[in-house]
Amino acid sequence: MIAFATPIGEEEPYRRYTEPGIVRAAEPDSAMYPYAGVGSITRSCNIVLDAAAARDDLEALVLLHPHTELADRSFCARVREAFRDPAVAVAGAAGGAGFPSIAWWEGTVSAAPGVQRYRAHDGGELPAFGWADPRAPLGEVDAVDGALMVLSAWAVRTIRFDESLRVGHGYDIDYCRQVRAAGRKVVTADLRAIFHRELEIVEDIDLWIEGHQQVAEKWELDDGDEAAWKARARRAEAEREAARALAHGRGLAADARLLELERRMDAATGTLSWRLTAPLRQANQLRGRAAARLRRRRVQVNP
Amino acid sequence: MERRPLIAFGVAITKADVYRRCAEPGIRRAAEADSAIYELESAGSLFRNYNLLLEHAAARDDLEALVLVHQDTEIVEPGFCEVARDALADPLVGVAGCVGAIGVRSIAWWEGSVSLASFMHRYDEYGGGDLPAFTWSWKDPPPYARIGEVDTLDGFLMVLSPWAVRTIRFDESLGALHGYDFDYCLQVRAAGRKVVTADLRAIHHHSLDLVSEPETWIEAHTRIAEKWEGRLPGVGSAPGTWKQRARRAEAERDAARLAERARRLDTDARIRVLERALEETTESISWRITAPLRRRRLGPPREAP
Repeated sequence: MIAFATPIGEEEPYRRYTEPGIVRAAEPDSAMYPYAGVGSITRSCNIVLDAAAARDDLEALVLLHPHTELADRSFCARVREAFRDPAVAVAGAAGGAGFPSIAWWEGTVSAAPGVQRYRAHDGGELPAFGWADPRAPLGEVDAVDGALMVLSAWAVRTIRFDESLRVGHGYDIDYCRQVRAAGRKVVTADLRAIFHRELEIVEDIDLWIEGHQQVAEKWELDDGDEAAWKARARRAEAEREAARALAHGRGLAADARLLELERRMDAATGTLSWRLTAPLRQANQLRGRAAARLRRRRVQVNP
Repeated sequence: MERRPLIAFGVAITKADVYRRCAEPGIRRAAEADSAIYELESAGSLFRNYNLLLEHAAARDDLEALVLVHQDTEIVEPGFCEVARDALADPLVGVAGCVGAIGVRSIAWWEGSVSLASFMHRYDEYGGGDLPAFTWSWKDPPPYARIGEVDTLDGFLMVLSPWAVRTIRFDESLGALHGYDFDYCLQVRAAGRKVVTADLRAIHHHSLDLVSEPETWIEAHTRIAEKWEGRLPGVGSAPGTWKQRARRAEAERDAARLAERARRLDTDARIRVLERALEETTESISWRITAPLRRRRLGPPREAP
């Protein structure tokens, strides 16, 4: 059977997003592990893994972030498809290959179709992981994003999240590296979901930087001499400042694009004809509201 | 009769149309009757071009200052020469400019504390627009805005004293374009002279693409850090071992790139809202039935595009 688990930090998003998604995707015999989060995310995940590992009939464990809502009734069939190759130990909705750090989006990215639903700017939807520029076909990657990870029974019983990585960033990348170091594969698969995420991607960038360094320290052999580290530091410091300058320039371009649209909007709604026809639009809105009320009443009478 | 000292203007030209549109009108506006104007057709790197301009100016006995402007810099300060004279009145001042910063460690001078920015960034993209910097107008300046000594200047407008023109050269070994201004200011300071800001207002006609060639920019950053490390406090240095610096910088570099992606995501969301609103407006019945009214207006139509 395929089990589902979420380490729950806040109950409200679990109730609102994860639980209905699991109900939609689960099979009649699926086990669910909605465990309350304890301490770090890695500790919470390991508790779930211990519980799932005890089941003899475990086929796979779906680990969901509390803001991830599974959107597909055929999810389990897609999971089985992803794990048809017995060497596959982890599958995810999005991931990257050929990147050196926890920033998987800096590599060659692949992602399943899905949406990111946000509340900012009156709410809306964007393609999930569109910000990571997914261009590669789904398939083998170096690591997947932790918002939706499916672990094989082998992975659940063999590999643990590294609890020494305490800041909550990079634990997913580290897990995938452990899996690959053990000779198994990590893949992206057609695992569709709605990711209820705001637009900032990472809430606390300083913690993310800390996680970046922790994972780098763990995985990178310290075989460089002082001259090599110096050259690397010089290069990275220059790249960092170039990245900030480029980001600033692109921010200016984004502001200019928004300003242009606002100007066009002002030009459209500032015309005399637009102002003259305002009563027509108000009447139209009233008509629309009245029609909606009527529809609701009909539904109440004839449910 | 002894000749009055003069302020000369120099510009290296790679695009004549840009020069005619931007720098030339500004120089004409700022120049005095006896000012010399050096219009140099580009002969190589910006470092090389500026050194050629320095050679021209250095030969003049009556030189009071040399104003170096980019071809896309338009001086708008009406009393420019007087402000430049005031800035150079202290004989220890080697170079002055309208944008400067303190606490600068690299060619990314904007990572320091920018103390004066008397310019406007004018761009052509997206219908064009202006981005006035914080001391373009002194109506509501931030508390840190001030005129005075700085570590470095932005090179789109630099005023060089005769001493600087005759003594300091742009270091042509550093590259072709980036970092010439920072290195020049460091040389001036290393020689015991001052770098200062002055209210020399200008418009920088520039695209919104601030680093058009990141790889050459990175190379210049590295070369200049190597050249100056240990020679002036702070330049090219940072806390920690080289390994710690590398780790930290790599993480911060990736964080900057991530923040840029998040910013793009936010912009996409905001653009969607505006585009939807614009579409609803221009697709509405009232918009369509009043189209003839808008067409009858004199002059260019005010239709929303």
